[in-house]
Amino acid sequence: MTETARSKIEGPSLEPDLDALLAGDEKAFERLVTQESPRLFRIVFRILGDEEESQNIIQETFLQAFQRIKTFRRESKFTTWLYAIGINLARGSLRKSKRMTSLSDSDFDRLQPSFSKGMFVETVASWDPLRIAEQTNRHEILHRAIDRLPEDYKTIVILRDIEEHSTEEVAKMLEISGGAVRVRLHRARVALREMLNPHFQYQRQSAE
Amino acid sequence: MNVVYTIKTLLGLAPNCKKVTSFLADYVEGTLPRKVSQQFDEHLGMCKCCGPYFDQYRTTIDLIKEGREVKLPAELVEHTMTFLRNNANLSR
Repeated sequence: MTETARSKIEGPSLEPDLDALLAGDEKAFERLVTQESPRLFRIVFRILGDEEESQNIIQETFLQAFQRIKTFRRESKFTTWLYAIGINLARGSLRKSKRMTSLSDSDFDRLQPSFSKGMFVETVASWDPLRIAEQTNRHEILHRAIDRLPEDYKTIVILRDIEEHSTEEVAKMLEISGGAVRVRLHRARVALREMLNPHFQYQRQSAE
Repeated sequence: MNVVYTIKTLLGLAPNCKKVTSFLADYVEGTLPRKVSQQFDEHLGMCKCCGPYFDQYRTTIDLIKEGREVKLPAELVEHTMTFLRNNANLSR
């Protein structure tokens, strides 16, 4: 099942009963955890790639939400605020763990196209649809590439293209502008296209 | 790209490759103004680089969206609720 199909089955996040949550009502928290932990786990796991640590982050996220619920200003959806807590904790954990093996800023910049007088410097060779279709590990290739993106770009690809949150929601979760989300998403996709390029181009026949 | 169109891009009368690639995300989302979108289509039809580049950009997005399954741990909700009961002052 694709992520899109799954989110259609799960449906949009329902806004929880804030008054009950503010009162510390266990049932209300149980409904919140039941409703949101699968979606939140997928985001956190995609950032960290570590199941046990992702579970710890989920627990810590709900605990912090409980402890800080009075600071929720109702300027965004409650779930957006909740996800922001989880994403921040996951990014903090990733930085501490030194699991990051992402590209440096300069290597990332080199994956952006070069132009001379506004035109492509190098010709763009077509991809081979057959080669893409036959590449059974194409998702592995892609996800290794996503893992190499600098962390802020990777998070935006996860939130926008995989989990399909809106630009506005992502902007609120990451506390950046909608314009910054759009620019970083575009640059991330361009970098991923470049990393996939050698795997999917037509292969030259070797000379006899 | 034919000579007339190349001159138009150099004179700024038609978008060049750099401009077109900066439109890609908005084009895919269908949020470009109609006139700009028509200029984009004209460029894609003329340019031997931007046509395949755009196809590859769209294929990349499709592959990202096909996604990879994330298996949820067993008892994710139960473990989280146990943690909350032990660490938060929930009222029954």
